Amino acid sequence: MTRTGNTRRLIRQTLTIARRDFIATVFTPTFLIFLFAPLIMGSFGAIGGLGAATVASGSDGKTRIVAIVPAAEGAAMKTIDARLRQIFRGRDERPPELVTQAPDADPAARARAELQAKDYDVAAVLYGPLETPTILYGAQGYRTADYLAELAEQTLRADVTGGVGALSRATKTSVVRAKASIGGKNQAAFFTVFGIFFLTLLLAGQAVGTMAEERSNKVIEVLAAAVPLESVFLGKLLGMFGVAVLFVAFWGTLVSQVTTLMPAGMAAGLANIGPAIGMPAFTVLFFAYFTMAYLLLGAVFLSVGAQASTMREIQMLSLPITIVQVAMFGLASVAASRPGTPVATFAEWFPFSSPFAMAARAANRPELWPHLLALVWQMVWVGITITLGARAFRRGVLQSGSGRMNLRALFRRRAPA
Amino acid sequence: MPKGLIYGVLGPNGAGKTTTLRMLLGIIEPDAGHRTLLGHDSPREASDRVGYLPEERGLYPAMKARDAIAFLGALRGLDLKTGRKRAVALLEAAGLGHAVDTKIRKLSKGMAQLVQLLGSVVHQPDLLVLDEPFSGLDPVNQERLEALIIAERDRGATILFSTHVMAHAERLCDRLAIIAGGKRRFEGTVAEARGTLPMRAHYVPHHDGEGVAALLPADAVRAADGWTFTVPDNGAEDILKALIAAGFGISGLSIERPGLHDAFVRIVGAEALDDDARTLEHAA
Repeated sequence: MTRTGNTRRLIRQTLTIARRDFIATVFTPTFLIFLFAPLIMGSFGAIGGLGAATVASGSDGKTRIVAIVPAAEGAAMKTIDARLRQIFRGRDERPPELVTQAPDADPAARARAELQAKDYDVAAVLYGPLETPTILYGAQGYRTADYLAELAEQTLRADVTGGVGALSRATKTSVVRAKASIGGKNQAAFFTVFGIFFLTLLLAGQAVGTMAEERSNKVIEVLAAAVPLESVFLGKLLGMFGVAVLFVAFWGTLVSQVTTLMPAGMAAGLANIGPAIGMPAFTVLFFAYFTMAYLLLGAVFLSVGAQASTMREIQMLSLPITIVQVAMFGLASVAASRPGTPVATFAEWFPFSSPFAMAARAANRPELWPHLLALVWQMVWVGITITLGARAFRRGVLQSGSGRMNLRALFRRRAPA
Repeated sequence: MPKGLIYGVLGPNGAGKTTTLRMLLGIIEPDAGHRTLLGHDSPREASDRVGYLPEERGLYPAMKARDAIAFLGALRGLDLKTGRKRAVALLEAAGLGHAVDTKIRKLSKGMAQLVQLLGSVVHQPDLLVLDEPFSGLDPVNQERLEALIIAERDRGATILFSTHVMAHAERLCDRLAIIAGGKRRFEGTVAEARGTLPMRAHYVPHHDGEGVAALLPADAVRAADGWTFTVPDNGAEDILKALIAAGFGISGLSIERPGLHDAFVRIVGAEALDDDARTLEHAA
């Protein structure tokens, strides 16, 4: 048979196995649980967040800052407080409610008594003349003490200038940057690394147990007789990758619709975050690097998992696999935040962190050619990993050859017949 | 191996039957020597023309019988649509028409085994390799399997199967090889295998007496109603003439060719069994 014929047969066999794995995974009720897993995770997160927010808002109403000043100064202070509070929006940490009290004979003792109040929490207390006020604050009140000091300053300035009204009236116009800022590129790089990491963490780890089905059902003998093990491995990897693409397409579509529903301000804020290489090329590269990350890490997991003969062994392998993934994420995160450094260069070349780091590079730097080189480099490593995994499986599990594993045997070419 | 025949590989447990078949198919690589499969040095190049039923049967339990057969055919180059059509025809011919859309996990072991065999022939291979195909089957399914094997041979396929059950080999094999201790001890037809042992005669005298033993060959032993002895290379005629002349007469006489079982035991022999033990010890 010609080389072309052999290649065609290998592709056909690989796709047959990929198709079987894809169908066997997708057309099951458990796939729905898998597909909606992020929703379940998100729901738990939302419930937790809601609980925390409720607790926080509950305590917000009971916390206050106190100014023990004469009534006239207190009124001015209240007016300035109302104006300054306008700066705080949305999730900004607002100062607690301001309460003013007229001073008595011993304002220092009263201030200390306020901090020990039982019915409400006092974050900070100001007393004394506004030129040299004394501010007492509790464990969490350092920032609010600063706020009280600023209030005293502004009140005093208002008194000097003859009124508490604003002296300056600015015209505010929102301007969207034509290009992403440096910080925005770094943010985009980090989000990219995190996105690919999250997706591979969620999806590539599944490759660990895929050979277990064939081993437990004893189908592996039939497959190994008909198809080269390299094709079996690649086919299984592609089948699972198809599942991953389905997952990404589903959630990608949903998330893209969510951004259209965002408030204008938030969408404008996101415009500051963008890849250096441009959005269309970045989208293609993101998918390409996700593919490579999936295939590379999936090939490693598949090869390691193929050596396991029981579910217990597969479960035991989950931890080191997650550690490897997190390590690659850590390496690539450094590359994202410090582009051009030796660590970033290492992460871009090291095969198993390369997809993450190169995706970060696409966000940080505009050149396109290194990506073409990187994709070829990563594809070579996908091939190497699958070949080594298949050879290890043949020797370790099918007991081909001596049955003993050694590195030289693993790399040895088969002797020609 | 000659084409178009049913060829048996016989041997005791641990003789190397399965290993030989797996090496031939390229599942494992030989440490030394070389193999040729359908004219190809690399078994992979001929894989689309080969069907294989391994000793350890295995199918995906969630697959329907029709899909399982089509999938096995697809691995060997048959398109899925044709595979499904042929699967239905094969299942009906094998008496499993009712199980076309039944999932493998719901089939009995014997039925699943037949489905797997049908999966190994759905692409109409030139060579069908069956490793211990009859193990685990009840007599009814064994007959179905024998019929399938003969039908495949009649279609023009060559069948190579391993077994250590002599009855199947004796009934089915056109030629066979007997291996033991990883070595081939015999190659030929069933008749030739049986011919490796001399014929045995069972003689019942008309008048039994003390002198009968003296006229029979040295290995003669008394049986319930007469004597049993090995027929000499020049035949039993001279012995019978002497017995008649001495007045013992012939009340009954049968000359039997030994079965494949006896031939197997003789060919494999104690030496080969010792080799097996050594091989297993070495492997351990």
